[in-house]
Order: sequence, then structure tokens, then C-alpha cells
Amino acid sequence: MDIFTMAIWIGTIIFLIFSLSKNKEKTKDALRMAMGMGKNMLLSILSIILLIGLVLALLPPEQIAEFVENQNVFVATVVSAIFGTITIIPAFIAFPLVGTLVDAGVGIVPSVAFLTTLTMVGVVTFPLEKKEFGIKFTVVRNGLSFVFAIVIALIMGVII
Amino acid sequence: MTKIIKILKEHLFVEVIIIAYAVIFIFKPETGLNAINNSGYYLKEMLMIMPVIFVLTALLDAWVPKETIMKYLGKQSKSKGVILSFLLGGISAGPIYAAFPFCIMLHKKGASINNIVIILSSWAVIKIPMLLNEVKFLGIKFMAVRWLLTVIAIVVFSWITSKIVKDEDFPSEPTSEPEGVIINRNACMGCSLCVKNYPELFEIGNKKAKVKKYDFNIDEIKLKKAVDSCPVKAIRFNMDFFV
Repeated sequence: MDIFTMAIWIGTIIFLIFSLSKNKEKTKDALRMAMGMGKNMLLSILSIILLIGLVLALLPPEQIAEFVENQNVFVATVVSAIFGTITIIPAFIAFPLVGTLVDAGVGIVPSVAFLTTLTMVGVVTFPLEKKEFGIKFTVVRNGLSFVFAIVIALIMGVII
Repeated sequence: MTKIIKILKEHLFVEVIIIAYAVIFIFKPETGLNAINNSGYYLKEMLMIMPVIFVLTALLDAWVPKETIMKYLGKQSKSKGVILSFLLGGISAGPIYAAFPFCIMLHKKGASINNIVIILSSWAVIKIPMLLNEVKFLGIKFMAVRWLLTVIAIVVFSWITSKIVKDEDFPSEPTSEPEGVIINRNACMGCSLCVKNYPELFEIGNKKAKVKKYDFNIDEIKLKKAVDSCPVKAIRFNMDFFV
């Protein structure tokens, strides 16, 4: 385990002990909730991981990097953003995945666009959102999120 | 028979993946092994970080005083509301689909559209435990810059949204609420806290909570505890019901 993961574990354990000493009941409830959420997601996370493994075996990251490099940056960014919109990958798999891709040479700009739309824009959740908020709100929020994801990515390309 | 079809339908994604692997292993066993290896790496990374992220998220959710924050999200809240909205979205546990009904509930309590967009967006992007995970794989500079830019972007487009979308654009509620205890199954994430607080009334079915058939008088104190403990506020009950 690397230092960083260790730090998160230690920090969380300290928080947990503190929480236990303050309010045992509340802490137990929180742990129960964490367990419940994890259990519900386990199967779908497992299948997403297997899918990513398969895709990367058929399309090695280096090949993806080479392909992306040969495209116009703006086109590559928009395509990555669209890709992020239609896929659902939990963030804690998305970060190591994007880490792999960046290490293989995929540019920062398309990577950021993908990461940002992945979480902020949702085609899969669109019907649910529409049902609760109405069509106008949903279109405006998702549309603006998409545009701004690309803006964020382009600015990051300049800064980093 | 229909039950089998239902189960097959529910796990369609898993089945497609298994078939794809079977096909690969028959025609290109080497690629199949490679795929398993790749998956192994992500599985290891996930198992190292996922438990701790869930626990940290649940602890933050339990200790940040959400009820207090909710009072300051109205139209007059200005910058204080903006900051609190970021905080509320950033510490809340649960998937994004749980945030939709939660935000509708806030809107009914007077939260402005501007703040609702901030809560939804930060719920999706600015999870504090996730930021730590991002640092691990992409570096602190990457995380910090992306975080800062994302916050600015959210402030800008939430303001734009509030200029375009008005309160009247939200779908109106059905006027007659059904009697009794209701669970919004779109919001429920199956954490089972309600079952723990009132096992006689709630149960988990199909990964989500539901109300059991009951013929006893509801214990108001236990019900209230269950309602309050729900992290996404998915349980509602009709007030006159007790009179």
C-alpha cells in the first residue's frame, strides 16, 4: 500500500475512533450505511472492472494514446467528453483508469474532459432527473455542465 | 419462469460481460488472460480504497449538521448559501440519483435553483474522499487545479441556470398524497437504516427499502427516528395520519 492510501486509512480510522467515543449509536449507523452502499454497488463495480480489463486488453493504452494524439485536440476533447457522458464508471475506478491512460501518453485535456463529464453529466440518469426537475432544468444543467467540462479541460491544458 | 427472466434481466450487464469473456477465451486465450490481469490491477486498487472511502463518506454525512445547513439555502442566502451548498453536496453520501429527490425536497423547503444546481454538481464532482483518491493517481497539482476550475465553473453555470429556469418549470406535485408511510424508491440507496430503526415496518426488497404490510398502530417515535435517520430523506408520512 502506498503512503497516500495509508494516510487516508489512518485519517479515517482516527475519525472513526473519535466518532465512536463521541456517539456510539451514530457511528454504528454510519458504518451500517457504508456497508449497505458498498454491498449494493459491489456486483456492478465488479462487472465494470471486468469490462475495463477487457477493453484495455483489446485496445492497449499505448494504442489509445497514439490514436488520440493523431486527432485534433479539440475533436479529441469533445469525443472524450461525449464518452464520459454516456458511460457510468464510479470515480474510484475512473481515477486509476485515467492514471493509466495519462501514463501511456494520452493528453491531459481529453482526460480531464472525460473525468469531468463522467461525473457531472449523465445520459443514463437523464430520465430520472427529468422526472424530478422537468425537461427544461435537466437539459440546461446537463448542457451547461458539458460545455463547462470542455472549458475546464482546455484551461487545464494551458496551466499544467 | 417469469422470475428467472426477471433475474436474468436485472443482471443483463454481468451476463454480457461473462459471455464476452467466454468468447475471448475460446478464440484468443492470450487476450483473455491479459484482460483478467488488467482487471486484477483495478480490482486491487479498488479494494484498497473503496472500503475506506465509503466509511469516510458515511462519517462525514453523519457528523456535518445537514439540518442546520438546509435553513440557509433560500433566494436571499447569497454567498453564504453558495458555500453551504458546496459543503452539502460535497459531504453527502450516496449516488447521484439519490441527490435528485433530495434536492426536490430542499426546493420545496425554499432552496433556490441556483443553490440546487450547486448541490447537484458538487454532489457529483466534489466529493472530499474522492479528491484524496484523485491526488493518489493524478497528483496534487492536477487535483487542485481541476478542483478550483470546477468550483468556478459550477458557480458560473448555476447562476446561468437560475436565469433560464424558473421555479414554475419544475413539475408540479400530484395534489392528493396517498395516505400513510411512503418511501421514494428513486431516492433510496438501500442503506437499511430504516429497517434497523423500525424493523416491524420496513424491509429491504430488491436492494431498496419498502414498507411492510402492517395492521398495528404505528409507533410515532420509532417512525420519526427512521425518517430522520434516512440519509437521503426518502421516507415521508402524512401528518393527519396520526390524528
